[in-house]
This record gives sequence, structure tokens and C-alpha cells, in this order.
Amino acid sequence: MKTLLKEPLLHFVVAAALIFAGYSWWSAKQARADSTIFISSADMERMGALYTAEAGSLPNAQDIQGMIADHVRNEALSREARKLGLDEGDTIIERRLAQKMTFMISDLAEDNTPDDQALQEWFAANQNTFEAPARISFKHIYLSQSNETRATTMLQALNSNDANDWRKMGDAFMLQREYVDLPSRETVRLFGVDFRSTVFELQARNDWQGPVTSALGTHLVKIERLEPASIPEFEAIRPRVEAQWQEENRKRQNAKSIGEIVSRYHVELEGMDRK
Amino acid sequence: MIKYLSMASAAVVLVACSGGETPAQPDADTSASVLTDAAADTETRTAGYSETRNAYFGDMHIHTRNSFDAYIFNVRRTADDAYRFAKGETIDHPSGFDMTIAGGPLDFYTVTDHAEYLGILPSMNTPGTRLSELPRAKDMFSTDQDKILAAFQGVGASVRSGNPIDEMNDQGEMNSVWAQNVAAAEAHNEPGVFTTFSAYEFTSVTSMNEGSDNFGGGNLHRNVFFKGAAPDQAFSTLNSPNPEDLWDWMDDQRAAGFESIAIPHNSNVSNGQMFRLETYNGDPLDAAYADQRMRNEPLVEATQVKGTSETHPDLSPNDEWADFEIYDRLLGVYDVSATKGSYIREAYQNGLKLQEDKGFDPFRFGLVAASDSHVVGGAYAEEDYWSKVGIVDGSPITRGSVPFPGSPDWDNQPDNRIVTNAREWFSRWSASGLTGVWAEENTRDAIFDAFRRKETFATTGPRMKVRFFAGYDLGDVDVASAELAKTAYETGVPMGADLLGDGKTPSFLVWAMRDPNTAALQRAQVVKVTSTGEAVYDVSCHVGTPDPVTHRCADNGAAVDMTTCTATGEGAAELKTVWTDPDFDPASRATYYVRVMENPTCRWSTWEALRNGTPPRPDVPQTIQERAYTSPIWYIPASE
Repeated sequence: MKTLLKEPLLHFVVAAALIFAGYSWWSAKQARADSTIFISSADMERMGALYTAEAGSLPNAQDIQGMIADHVRNEALSREARKLGLDEGDTIIERRLAQKMTFMISDLAEDNTPDDQALQEWFAANQNTFEAPARISFKHIYLSQSNETRATTMLQALNSNDANDWRKMGDAFMLQREYVDLPSRETVRLFGVDFRSTVFELQARNDWQGPVTSALGTHLVKIERLEPASIPEFEAIRPRVEAQWQEENRKRQNAKSIGEIVSRYHVELEGMDRK
Repeated sequence: MIKYLSMASAAVVLVACSGGETPAQPDADTSASVLTDAAADTETRTAGYSETRNAYFGDMHIHTRNSFDAYIFNVRRTADDAYRFAKGETIDHPSGFDMTIAGGPLDFYTVTDHAEYLGILPSMNTPGTRLSELPRAKDMFSTDQDKILAAFQGVGASVRSGNPIDEMNDQGEMNSVWAQNVAAAEAHNEPGVFTTFSAYEFTSVTSMNEGSDNFGGGNLHRNVFFKGAAPDQAFSTLNSPNPEDLWDWMDDQRAAGFESIAIPHNSNVSNGQMFRLETYNGDPLDAAYADQRMRNEPLVEATQVKGTSETHPDLSPNDEWADFEIYDRLLGVYDVSATKGSYIREAYQNGLKLQEDKGFDPFRFGLVAASDSHVVGGAYAEEDYWSKVGIVDGSPITRGSVPFPGSPDWDNQPDNRIVTNAREWFSRWSASGLTGVWAEENTRDAIFDAFRRKETFATTGPRMKVRFFAGYDLGDVDVASAELAKTAYETGVPMGADLLGDGKTPSFLVWAMRDPNTAALQRAQVVKVTSTGEAVYDVSCHVGTPDPVTHRCADNGAAVDMTTCTATGEGAAELKTVWTDPDFDPASRATYYVRVMENPTCRWSTWEALRNGTPPRPDVPQTIQERAYTSPIWYIPASE
């Protein structure tokens, strides 16, 4: 692993130096003796090795940024926790302390209720989160073996004027032969990805179409209704929007509190000039 | 760090859970009229209602922050989060990464927190509560690992022995947390779309040595599910560790209008106790015991994260597929569980023997599966696995799929607690499982009725669908007919039912359909159990037909490219056949169930090794064949 890391470690250090330019806001804070977080090259090597072992690949620039940010965050939070009277020295304890501090912070987060306008604006900015899935209503006839001639003949018969009971045609299908308002992801669950892609490209029509291939075989389909994905009206889903806003708000407040704690610390990286 | 994990591991074993049960079925064929006695009338039917029943998938065994052995490992998510996960939302693991359900949302999901000290640890860790003032609370959430270990082991020992720690046994607090779990289940239950049940785990463990101060012992856990409304208080091992006392309580609750079933789980690590041929107190079994057990426990969990309980290679030496995800360590310790009395197929056989010798069978249960996740979200896919014990097994290193940091391969692994726990426990756990039910619609009533009928099947994670029918006129049915399912219900009995003899040879319809989003199917088998033996018949093959002498399919050539975990070769989308038992004896009872195999795929440990660029762990299989097990059909001779 040592040799494996030789080369990447160089990248790691160089990239870390670049990334640290982005952390200048930390250093804007007053430096106190106990408010410096020093990251040595040994620390970085250890982080790199741990990452490689856990993730199974070498860290890229973004990963490095993440690792250092995590490290700084954990260190800052655990120091803060120690200030509250807890004290001990190994990694797990430090991580636990940081986690405890995190829980404490999230317990402190206020349960604000946004006013109407704020909520509507937030909904407008985040409406993709609330998208109602595309839906399809269709009948299908299942052919367990791919057989072009059989499919074509059957399709002609279905679309002719002759009386045909579609329910008795084709092979036995273990589930349903008719689905109403099936959400797009349910078509994936039942028939697989390829089937979904194909049927949502078809038009709702009065005649039978196909054959369409699925993970299960081939199907002749009669598309009764296709409903594209849509954004629901705000009023119709207001409780959901508010719940989501609260969740986001909690996350935002937590991040803010943690950011405030982290910003009390000053970060130094061995072998690199502070910005 | 090592010390911390050793305490963690002690608790890990506790993380075993339970299942639910159904009442005994009379020896009568109740299923032939199935199509006409569907409960819902037309007006109250939900969208998607089908007379020929739909396959719904769910996980009925989930722990949240309110379970003592989840909270201690940093699990903070709630029952509400659990249901949101099952509906497809992404939530976070206590180790910080995101969890999203594999294969899309589930149809039903149930939180089953341990009833013992339900929600007590969270309260002990909340400043200002009475419980947080206890010296034990200070120890439990201190930074001194010895104190944490001692405090937590004490809780485990209390759960096992049934001797409450009085200062922690705050019934008011537990009832209020139970009410919260019930409320979350109610809030997320949406007829026609998503079903939940009010449920909890009864955490009984046999002792290996009286007075021991840990959780080690044979697992007798059960999950208890209420069909609708739930009582205000859950019966736990602190009331009595004897499962028969639980059944008495369930009988009383039923009489008071609270219908329930209990589902045992992890019989594989019960140390021979789950299906022992004596009562809990060592008395002989009798007809009353069998009636009460079947009335309350009609189902058993066949597979979950802590291994499979179908059968063991020592019990089924002629079953080439018996050595599958075998896990045999007792809860919380490295001791090996006794094999006899711990496996389902053997229990079916012992049940038939008891029936012949004494006229009752306490083991006529159907099969389900679950994850037993203690991190709120179940990990069902090999390629996206996160095990189940919070921060203790949340990374490839701690579950032993990759070498310990500093070692490039599997030689010379260091001797420490993480490595040992991974070897003995976590590396041998499974990305499993899910319950399939055949129900008219996705509602509490329809799904609970399916549990009672035992019209259920267990899978090791994928959502393959399996139908299984038996009848005397099924041989004349055209399996290509578009209305096969309807015909099968009209002319036969489905899985979970009894088939009464009439002197003729029955036919069995075996019908499996692949999960469109996992591997294709390789073979379908019928497992036959009699009072004197067992046999496994391949009945439908991806390629060709089974050899009439060996009853085996030819090799279909399916394999896995180990450099990429890509499947090679083809498989079947459907397997469908009408089968007759070549060794059928109309005068003897026999129990038949179906096992369906997917083509081989990489095991989760192989996926993680591949992503890490290190060799797969040598002492676990590199590939597995995911599978489904149906509830049996019980043949009963006419003369009886």
C-alpha cells in the first residue's frame, strides 16, 4: 500500500494546497493558541491510506477536499466537546465526541415555521423535488418467447375489425394484463428499464402497438393514457412542502452552527504557506 | 478504538430479531374457494385490486433509535424515517453515507423495535429526564469504554434473563414510545399504495450458563404484528422470556379484539431451541401446544442478514445448494449454535413425525424473510450493502470484505477485535431478505390475511415472483393459457394450504418470474419432506428439462466474470411447469415447497473487494445464487 500511495500522495499534497486557497475564511478569524488545527503530512498520508482502503480507489481533488474538511470539522467539534468537560484521546472517542456535539446541535435547531410567502418562494425554487412521476395506463399481451411472426400476426388480428378477446390472447402473464395510472418507476420495478423507456415514448392510441421488449419477454401494448411528469399545485401538497422545508431548515441550521464552530479554528497544513 | 469495538461486538449479537406467527390451519382444504371469498367488496377495493392476487414485497423487521442495541451504535433515525426510506426516500446511515432502497420502493414495511427498554436509551441520553440522572446513564454515555461496556452488557443480560433493571424499566416511558411507533405506522399506512403494521420484537434468548453477564445464548426472538389496532403495552421478555407466555398474552389480546401473529427469526442461531421437541420448560409437546403455536405463529423467517435458516449441509448432505449463507454464531459471542433443532426443513420433518406418532404438528408454518436492519433501512442488494449494526459494521474494513488497513492482502491480518469480529460475524452476514405475499390488494387486511393463509414466499433480496399450486386436475391445464392463474386458483390450492388426498396423484404448478432488475433464473426446484426423508427435484430448467433419473438440470453455462462482477451467459425470464412427484405415495403425508435459483452473481463481499482493488476474502464464497423459498403445500392422505 505504501508503494501504491507514493505517487498519489504527491498529487494529494499538491491538490490539497490548491484547495486550501478556498479555506481562507478560516484564517480571517483571530488565531489563538488553542484554535489552530494543524494537519501534518503524516496526517494527510493516513487520510489518503484510509480513503484508499475504504473506498477502493485513490482520492481525487474533491475527495481530498472532503477529507480535510471532515477532519477539520471533527477536530473542531471534538475540541468544542472537550471544552464542555469531556476528555479522552483516541480516534473513536474523538469521532464520538464530534457526533455527540452534532446531535446536540441538531437538538438545538429551532423549529421555525416559514410564512406563506417564504414557503411559496422556496417551493418555486425547489419544485423539482415535488415532481409527480409520469404515469401510464395500458393493456398488454405477453409473449414469453420472442417470435416476430407470431407477434405480427397477433397485432394484425388485434387491429382488424374481427372480434378478438385480447384477454385470452398470448401467453399467461403471472401478474396483471392491465395497469391503470402506473407510475414510471413502477414500470421499471415490474418490467425493467428498457420497457419503461420504450412505452413512455409511445403515443396513447386506440390500436395495439409493439412488439415492445422487456426483461420478461415481448409485449403487444395498447396505451390508454399517458400522463407526463408534472409539478403539483402548491396548495395541494402544502404539508409535504412544509415538512421538506423543515428538514432543509434543520440541515441548514446545523451546517451553520457547525460552520460557526469550525470558523473559530485556524487551520495550518504542514509544508504549506497559510493563505 | 479496539476496545470500543469489542463492546460493540458484544452488542451486535443482540441485534437478532424476531418474526410473527399465524394460527394453526385445520387439516382442511380452505383454499379452493379462494376466488370467491375475497374479503373486500367492490366498493371498498383499492386501485390494483386483483382476484388472482398480486405479488407484494416488503420487509417486516426493522429497528430504529428506539431499540437499545441500535441507539448505542449511533442510530438516531426514527420510525417515520424508516417508512420514508421504504417509500424510496434517501436517508443517512449513522456512519454518514446515504442509503437508498435497492430495486425501488417496497409495498409494505414494518418497524419492529425491541420491546425491552423501548426508547429508554434515548431518554437516558436526553438531559433533563429522570432516566438521564441515573448513574447508569452517565456510564452508558460516558467516554470510558469499560463503563459503557459494563452498562450496556447489563442491559443485554437483563433482556436475556428477563430480570428487569428496575430503575430503567420505566413502563410509562416505554408505553409512550410504543404509542409513537404505532402512530408512525398509522401515519404511513396508505391503502392501495403502502402498508404498515404496528409491531415490535419480543427478544427472548436462552442462557448458555445461568448468571452470565452478557447476551450470549440461543435466539428465540419473535416479531409480533397487529392486524389493526394495537394494545397500549407490548409484552416483552421483562414480562416473561418464555415464548409460550407470549402466546398466552396474544390469545388474550385476540379475545379483546387485538388480532396478531408472531414470526420467529434466526432459528439458525437458536442453539437448537427454536424447533426443539420439548416445551420451553422441558415438558413433552402436546396437541394443545401445537394448536397454540400454530394459532400464534403461522410463519417463520427463512432468511435475513444473519444467515439462512432453510437447512444446513450437515442436515441435508444430498442437497447441493444447502451450503448457502450459513451463519451459526450465537448472539453476541463466537460460540457455535447447535444445528439440530435450528433449521426449517428438519422442523417440517419432525412435524410430520409428531403427526404420525402423536397426531399433532407444531411446525406447519409458512415462510417469509426480512433484513433485521438496525439502521432503519434494509440493504437487499449485493452491489450496495451496508450490513446492519450502526457504526460497528458500517464500512468494508469493519465487516471484513477488504484487508485491514496496512495489509495489501489476506495474509498476516493483524490480531485485533475488528478483524476477529469481521471474521466470526460480519463477513458471514448476508444482503437479505424480502417477503413476498400474494394478496388481492395492498391493504393491511389483504396482506394480513395472506399471512394467515401462509400464501407467502421468502427471497434473499431480489423480487422474483413465485406461484405454487397443487391439485388433481392441474395436469390437464394448459400452462400457456392466458388465464392460467385464474384456472390454477379454481382447480388447485395455493402455497400455504393443505391438499387433501383422494387416492389420485396430484399435479403441482410451479411458476416463477424473474426480477427484471436482477439476475435471470437458472432453475426451479421442488423440495419434498416426509417423516422419513427429504428430496430435492429440479422441475424446470433454463436449458432443457431435468434428467429423469438424477432430477437435475443441465448446466446452463451461467457464470460471473470475477474481474468485473458482470454476469456471463443467459438465464430464464420465466420458469413454468406442471410437475408430478415420481415417488408419490398416496398413503403418506408429505410437505412440498418450491425453491427458485437465480444465475450466480457476486456476493457483497466480492463487490466491495473489487471496488477496493484487493482480493476477495478467501473464507467466504465469492459468488452466490440468490433464491426464493415458498411456503409449503401439505399433502394429507384421504385415509386420515
